[in-house]
Amino acid sequence: MTAIGLDVANLSLVQAAEAVRQGEVSAVALLDACLANLDAHEEAVNATIWVDREGAFAAARAADAEHAAGGPIGSLHGLPLAHKDMYYQAGRRSTCGSAIRKDFVPSYSATVIERLAAAGAYAFAGLNMAEFAQNGTGHNRHHGDCRNPWNLSYITGGSSSGSGAAVASRFTFAALGSDTGGSIRLPAAANGVSGIKPTQTRVSRYGVMPLSFSADNVGPLARTARDCARILSVIAGYDPRDPTSAEMPVPDYEAGLNGDLRGVRVGVPTTYFLDDVDAPVQAAFEASLAVLAGRGATLVPLKLPLMDAISTYASVVSRVEGATIHAEWMRKHPHDFATHINARLFASLAIPATYYVEALSRRGPILKAFATEVFGQVDLLVAPTIRICLPSIAATDVDNGPPGTEQVAMGISINTRPFNYLGLPSMSIPCGFDPNGLPIGLQISGRPFAEGAVLKAADAYQRDTDWHARRPAIPAA
Amino acid sequence: MMTEIPDEAALALEFDVFARRAGLDIPADRRAGVFAGFKDLRRMLALMRQPRTAAHEPAGTYSILSVTRGL
Repeated sequence: MTAIGLDVANLSLVQAAEAVRQGEVSAVALLDACLANLDAHEEAVNATIWVDREGAFAAARAADAEHAAGGPIGSLHGLPLAHKDMYYQAGRRSTCGSAIRKDFVPSYSATVIERLAAAGAYAFAGLNMAEFAQNGTGHNRHHGDCRNPWNLSYITGGSSSGSGAAVASRFTFAALGSDTGGSIRLPAAANGVSGIKPTQTRVSRYGVMPLSFSADNVGPLARTARDCARILSVIAGYDPRDPTSAEMPVPDYEAGLNGDLRGVRVGVPTTYFLDDVDAPVQAAFEASLAVLAGRGATLVPLKLPLMDAISTYASVVSRVEGATIHAEWMRKHPHDFATHINARLFASLAIPATYYVEALSRRGPILKAFATEVFGQVDLLVAPTIRICLPSIAATDVDNGPPGTEQVAMGISINTRPFNYLGLPSMSIPCGFDPNGLPIGLQISGRPFAEGAVLKAADAYQRDTDWHARRPAIPAA
Repeated sequence: MMTEIPDEAALALEFDVFARRAGLDIPADRRAGVFAGFKDLRRMLALMRQPRTAAHEPAGTYSILSVTRGL
């Protein structure tokens, strides 16, 4: 039953949650709508690894019964969500996008999954991803490549490939991804959705497959900045089971979304982030600046310090830590990794420990210098999420492509990776389309624990644009 | 020194030694790809040597608090 009379799967997460709260739509109806889109387009997009329909309907019916009984409900009551298949859910398979873990069933659940459930949401599918979150394109030899719903020949970005594609395709209202070098922001940009990598330590990583102890982040992808704000308000905060998580208080991120950017200084880089940028990306980026200025923001041209060093140190840290985590599997099961994962992980064992320690030890002083020189002048920093027009799946197929393909694939994350090393909050929202009809992303980054400011700017931008509301016309497989 | 890039033959020898020391039995059909990744990393590491000043001390890589907070 619905008084809305439209495709409820096209609602934003916040709209759907409010519709459930008001009794305008049932949780079962939301699930039906999501599954109808999934059944129609999953063969083309390949966004899921597993789907639990029986469990989903049981959860949806329970949510409806609970709502009918009266009493308080959570901010995500009755919402069907799906997550990158590396968030452990007790008793449910978690493949981590790999062959090695194809039968892995964890005995415990991730804190973020429990927090979302406490807010009333339920998880009904495990989403496709790069193998062990190890690429930025979404290629996956074991589960099939995830394909971009805007054009099936193109990449979805990774490693949270299925999260970006599933949200864009209206299979789910939101999805958790993870981000160690861009893996939330890249699929957000590539699929025309919104995704935020919070400040390092803002969100618990307990029960989440690790890639890099120093750089992993948990965060949502959804259709709007407001949706991301709602989810972040639920999942952020100290977790005693993850002692690295921050004890900083969690604000109500939604409450601060008032569209007013007066007094906000937005840094526009004159170095690094726009080097060799494709013309359509540059045009979309410049148009975005006008929108932010129209909301009252002051644009400040900025030269950025230390960017090449940051990028190198970021790679060393994440590669060494990733290789350490996978060392035994590499020794015992070398053929169970895709070839490009071998190349990335195996070689990383050759990095001397002294280089790793050096890369880590520079992190604090570099962040201090960056905070002083950049965020001493501005409140936010903007840049294109990806410098180039989105490449095709074939052009970035490292395992089967000509020499030089890896450089194309690695170049995708050149604008996102620095914010992982710096530990800063960083978000991507859609800001246009390229000549091939693929989305372009605008990256907004802020000071430590300034997720509120980042989300506020993103939401303000989305009040004056409709890129985030557009929906792909997905062709048949 | 890691900041200098040896020639191809020396790199190949270095690679084989590294693989043995790491306990890796790299399959023959994967060797070319892994070796290419190894060469890329060596090039990247050559960029890493930067001057260290007093402003870069101490190394903040580890904090006992991050462990004891969870106890």
